[in-house]
Amino acid sequence: MSNQIHEFRDPIHNFIKLDSEERNLVNSRPFQRLRYIHQLALSYLVYPGATHRRFEHSLGVMDVSSHIYDVVTDPENVYHDSVRRLVPRRGTTHDWSYWRRVLRMAALCHDTGHLPFSHAAEAALLPNGTRHEHLSKAIILSNEMKPVFDQLKIAPNDVAKLAVGPKYSDGKFSDWESILYEMIGGNVFGADRIDYLLRDSYHSGVAYGRFDHNRLIETMRILPREDQETEEPELGIARGGLQAAESLLWARYFIYTQLYFHPIRRIYDIHLREFLENWLVGGRFSIALEDHLKMTDNEVLAAIYEASVSPKANAHEAACRITERKHFRVLYESNPNDQKINLASVERVFEAAKGEFGPENVRRDNYTSPSASEDFPVRLRDGMITSSLTMSKTFSDGQGPGFQVDSVFISPDSKEKAKQWLKEKKSTIIGEGA
Amino acid sequence: MPDFNSASLILALTENLRENQSWAGETHLQKAVYVLNRILRVPVPFTFILYKHGPFSFDLRDEIGWMRSSGFLEWEVRSNYYGPSLKTGQLGPILKKQFPEQASRHLTEIEFVAKRFAGKNVASLERLTTAIFVTFDEQTPVDKRALLIHRLKPHINIPDAEAALTEADALVQAAARQFERAIPAA
Repeated sequence: MSNQIHEFRDPIHNFIKLDSEERNLVNSRPFQRLRYIHQLALSYLVYPGATHRRFEHSLGVMDVSSHIYDVVTDPENVYHDSVRRLVPRRGTTHDWSYWRRVLRMAALCHDTGHLPFSHAAEAALLPNGTRHEHLSKAIILSNEMKPVFDQLKIAPNDVAKLAVGPKYSDGKFSDWESILYEMIGGNVFGADRIDYLLRDSYHSGVAYGRFDHNRLIETMRILPREDQETEEPELGIARGGLQAAESLLWARYFIYTQLYFHPIRRIYDIHLREFLENWLVGGRFSIALEDHLKMTDNEVLAAIYEASVSPKANAHEAACRITERKHFRVLYESNPNDQKINLASVERVFEAAKGEFGPENVRRDNYTSPSASEDFPVRLRDGMITSSLTMSKTFSDGQGPGFQVDSVFISPDSKEKAKQWLKEKKSTIIGEGA
Repeated sequence: MPDFNSASLILALTENLRENQSWAGETHLQKAVYVLNRILRVPVPFTFILYKHGPFSFDLRDEIGWMRSSGFLEWEVRSNYYGPSLKTGQLGPILKKQFPEQASRHLTEIEFVAKRFAGKNVASLERLTTAIFVTFDEQTPVDKRALLIHRLKPHINIPDAEAALTEADALVQAAARQFERAIPAA
């Protein structure tokens, strides 16, 4: 079979290209399953356009990561001997093409382990300590995928390391592998983050999520942390990309506050988790690969509708909260004034509300996003390397760290009574024992 | 759920590092928590792997991010040429007041680490803590461990790796002499 180039049309990246051998991976069962996993769970109940799936996001991550690879390994963009020793030379060695292909396939596979509705209920519905990355890794190393990687002439172990990163890999990461992983999953400007911000923004209509990703990618460089007196390399940028990097940080801030942390979107995650706990055998997802590959949003959505019209079904109430929009409402949110009195103010209100209205009528949503580092190396025009924080008030004062939400929700039937109750009792509740 | 006790410990460590004239950047804090946990067995809810500049915890990175977004810690840019430092944030004093137990229980261990890390820059911390990590991970002679360090981090040459391994052994011995709970010296 000839190795042709194929194209996907994509609203974010226009055309995403891959060759026939790479397309075999796209055609595999684990990857096709991603057509049926919503990127943003039930967010479409709040933002009707947010119906996009992990499938197109994964293609986007592949596309962006290979652009990053091409830019940072371009000999014109490699300035230091320590980096030159690390980076395979384009066109002269087998290694350059090998690692490019490993990177692209790892980017494609990085989300194959996602449960139905992505992150919505992952921590509660998998066995203790298991995350979707463990399932992604198991899929990559499975017998089902072996022929695909054999044909691509790449080692599944290398793909797995770059797909799930050091936190979920057993082996140690070399400096080169760390840099490659950063191109996909890096917490400053990895391809995963670049694609999901742009794509989620586009589909949800939250326009603040846009930024000049082309400029950002063109200015990415592998740089030794000379500003920290070490030669260990990190993914950084040339000075000319600083504003593009700043705009990514702001995009992340806006998308988190406007979209991911929208309170109704958050409470739907909780109702979905409650439905699944009641519907799934044993209240948890199976992590057997065959079971995982058979379970998509489609099966869950069908079950939600069935339970919602079957009053005797175990999960009837949770199903109705989703299908009939009987979701809980915000009663109380963490705020700096109350925290100054008692850092555990949300916990206090939550416990008191449960006592007053019954645990079945009260929910708490406590979540902190993974932290983003705003500290990365920047190469100045004179060749000096410094920290991004010394170059930009956006980074040093900005919105980089993890975003957090900590709220108490109340059932719609108790909402008015609960608001009045909290108004009268709040100072006593949060002041006690502080 | 937020772990204010563990945050209070991290804040006390940051303040102690600064009192001892450490630069107290995020890397300094990562390595100090690693030693606190791995050698002195102070309980912290973080798992360390060999990654950025040596032992690194993604959970701790998230914890530091959470502490910054909560106002317990904040960045301080002290130089145009060197990475940023961490310092007590606006709500730090409230955290210390409301959750003092964990930090005061482990104050002597915190001081032990802070004093030994005082003058060290990122490069020397990277060498030292990578040496500690490799030593605990690989029960092999010094030359083999030095080679492994060099293979994983090619910018660390073998003589520097060997020196770091010697320093790591000395640190473990000093900890074992001072603290009953510390990992016994080999």
